[in-house]
Amino acid sequence: MLRHPLTSIEDIPMTNWRLLDRVLRRANPIEQDLVEAKVRGSITRRDFLKRGTVIGLSAPTMAAVLAACGDSDDSGEATTTTGGSTAGTGPAAVGGTLVVANQFGDANTGLDPVNMLDLGTYNVLSQSFEYLVGVGPDGNIGDTGLATAWEPNDDGSQWTFTLREATWQDGSPFTSADVAATMDRLVAKNNAALGGVIGEGAVDASDPATAVFTLIEPNGNFPVLVSTFNAQALITPADYSDGTTLDERPAGTGAWIFRDYDPSTFLVRFDRNPDWWGGQTPLDSIELRGFADIGTAVTAMQSRQIDAIQQFSVIGGEGLLDDPSFNVLTPPSSNHRQVWFHVNEGQFTDRLVRQALAWSLDRQQMVDTLFSGRAEIANDHPVLSSLPFFDPDAVEQRSRDVEQARALLAEAGVESITATIQSGDLQEIPDLAAIIQQNAAEAGFELQVNVQSNSTFYGDSWCPADGTDEQPCLNADEFGIVDYGHRPIPDVFFSSALASGGVWNSSNYANSEFDTELSNYRGAIDVAGQQAAVGRIQQILWEDVPAVYPYFFNFLSGHDASVSGMQATALGHSILSGASKSA
Amino acid sequence: MLRFIGRRAALSLVTLVILILVIFLLTRVFPSEPARQLAGPFAPQERVDELNETLGLNDPLPVQFGNLLADVLTLSFGESFSQPGVEVLDLVRPALWNSAKLVMFALVLTVPLSILGGVVAARRKDTLVDRAIVNFGLASASIPEFVSAVIFQYVIGVRLGWLPATTLIPDDASIFTELRYLLLPALSIVLVYFGYIARITRAGTITALESDYTRTAYMKGLNTSSVVRRHVLKNSLQPTVAVTGTQIGYLFGGLVGLELVFNYPGLGNLILRAATAPDFPLLQAAVITVAIIFMLSTLAADLLIAWMNPRARLNVGAG
Repeated sequence: MLRHPLTSIEDIPMTNWRLLDRVLRRANPIEQDLVEAKVRGSITRRDFLKRGTVIGLSAPTMAAVLAACGDSDDSGEATTTTGGSTAGTGPAAVGGTLVVANQFGDANTGLDPVNMLDLGTYNVLSQSFEYLVGVGPDGNIGDTGLATAWEPNDDGSQWTFTLREATWQDGSPFTSADVAATMDRLVAKNNAALGGVIGEGAVDASDPATAVFTLIEPNGNFPVLVSTFNAQALITPADYSDGTTLDERPAGTGAWIFRDYDPSTFLVRFDRNPDWWGGQTPLDSIELRGFADIGTAVTAMQSRQIDAIQQFSVIGGEGLLDDPSFNVLTPPSSNHRQVWFHVNEGQFTDRLVRQALAWSLDRQQMVDTLFSGRAEIANDHPVLSSLPFFDPDAVEQRSRDVEQARALLAEAGVESITATIQSGDLQEIPDLAAIIQQNAAEAGFELQVNVQSNSTFYGDSWCPADGTDEQPCLNADEFGIVDYGHRPIPDVFFSSALASGGVWNSSNYANSEFDTELSNYRGAIDVAGQQAAVGRIQQILWEDVPAVYPYFFNFLSGHDASVSGMQATALGHSILSGASKSA
Repeated sequence: MLRFIGRRAALSLVTLVILILVIFLLTRVFPSEPARQLAGPFAPQERVDELNETLGLNDPLPVQFGNLLADVLTLSFGESFSQPGVEVLDLVRPALWNSAKLVMFALVLTVPLSILGGVVAARRKDTLVDRAIVNFGLASASIPEFVSAVIFQYVIGVRLGWLPATTLIPDDASIFTELRYLLLPALSIVLVYFGYIARITRAGTITALESDYTRTAYMKGLNTSSVVRRHVLKNSLQPTVAVTGTQIGYLFGGLVGLELVFNYPGLGNLILRAATAPDFPLLQAAVITVAIIFMLSTLAADLLIAWMNPRARLNVGAG
């Protein structure tokens, strides 16, 4: 039944109630809440589209709601091209090979879809395998994966995915049994995004064309957790055992068939899959070429030895950013760095000390010097300000205040702190560590910077070997900087890095109020409920400072102007099924 | 001569064993636990303990060293830690071949050019030509190869577009195409070694030109060209040969920066990746390969010098 909370029809002029009524009669409670939020004007058109996609509203339904609200024009924010590809300068051609400079994958995992941990390998595996929920043209989730539609039950505790008619490369049909087996493998490996969300046997595969997920507790954002933005959630065949690599057993439902792999150069080649459900790809083949150094990849791109580049940085990438024949792709990004403090051991157990360090930092300097402005200042929580449930009034933005920092240290009864910032040698992180060292010195922190190779850093400082299976980062060093890749919603940042017992909780932070609000946020089925919980989470993290979150930075990818139809995600996926190269 | 070869080979073998010992000890200095690396950061400690046992890492160091020597003798370095299932030698072999191509190409360009430069400078001693060659050599040798590489890459590869800026050699490339891709890294090597080898050649040539046997050759009525070719070069090139021989070993494994800049899959790049992984079997195998090349190139240089100068083999034979 239609239940609209508006007290007066004047509140919403131009609303087509008849059309809206038709939509609401077919909608479940979660969908009704979203439609009502749009009708009330409490969310923007863009947020309505984003959230509608997450909960599985079809495009015609969303269009009907927008039309009913008199909001159907296509101006401005309809479908952002961010994350998509700009058109090439010449006519799109059929055939040819596209060469992409790819981050050198972590040899320790190889081409293993379940255990991979780096962007280079994500990009390789996602050419052959596909996710249940794919990426839409606006860079957020969309029905371009193995599910054509999804919908929750009334309270969001059960989600039903309608599966696409697709075949594996050996000709066998793709079914819900493949989804069920994949999810069990991910649960067994403590997948960071699905931990606490689903357990073993969560998928009912009795209907081969439908996968029904029963969650541990309601979750209004569940489709995101089985989408491209949970990089390991690639759907693999039911009998694809844990540890199997793509080169050992080529398989997939995707647009590309694995041809060969050279581990010494990390060169992986694929040919067109003639039986792909999406039809024929414009290109004949693709090559992902490993580059150990981003600077060399930029040079190869500048000299047009390659057609596209998976990722590059502002520093060192100026030549590409200024190149008129190069198209920069900036997919939506919540990429960030987490400066964690061990809150139970060492010198940062007093939150006043942690707050002091947070106040001493010059975030604007970081954004300007490390990213030439292509980043957004963060406020010591991992919630992007563009998310619909971000609460702009929750806390004031922290900006540098050395006096405040000194006062907090004095209040904590500490004159100075001598500590070491542990950091991996990854992108701008050593420079960030140096800025923190300089900024904090004025407030009374004597910091040393210890830059290690990335794999040593992960294994020795962030998640040392003496942790437990459930909480491998239990014995993290007292202070360090770790990288977090993009997620369209902050669930993983909350549940893995900050919730009690989280798999990546190097801070060892445990706050029952935070855990409760996280549960409230996950279970909320409308934006208002999510915002109430997230606003409180912002306050708790800002006060407790288990970690400093200094900025979110743009993910930069791109291609030569002769290429069109390529899409990128901020988790390093180069989506090439629609890409073509003009002569 | 045979006795000389035998003694040199025996000395080289002793050197190699010492080198292997040093490599063995250095790889044990790493703070990382190889078994933990292999098992992964989230593996249970029992799995790590099991691997330590399987890999022989619980054995006393002398036993581990003995095992390594046996591995070298049988050319069996086992599987890579970072790429389980892949034999270490299968990774070293293509990298070695790639490095060999680059080094040989660079030497083919460097050695004749440097000898020519050195001889011309010696014959024009203290003239403008001499000073130009010597100063150019000094300047070019003082720029590390990876710095000149970046400059070449940007100017010749990116701005002018004359040569490929990185070594992404196509699969079906002919030998000439391949050399074209290798020209920029090779030129970076030439720049460093030209000055070094040219100056040594110049010094040796000046000494030879001022020696009694050269004067005698002139007095016999030989022309300058014959004197230089038949008497001067044979004596003046001995230090050049010795230096070139020792540098070959370095060129095979020491061009880490250069190979990184050009994304070239040579031994230097392999060693860097093995060290940062860290992948101990791969690291040991790659570094020992470089040590063997170092030993063989030095041995070859010694033999060449002995062939050129009989006094050299008499000295060693008497020693």
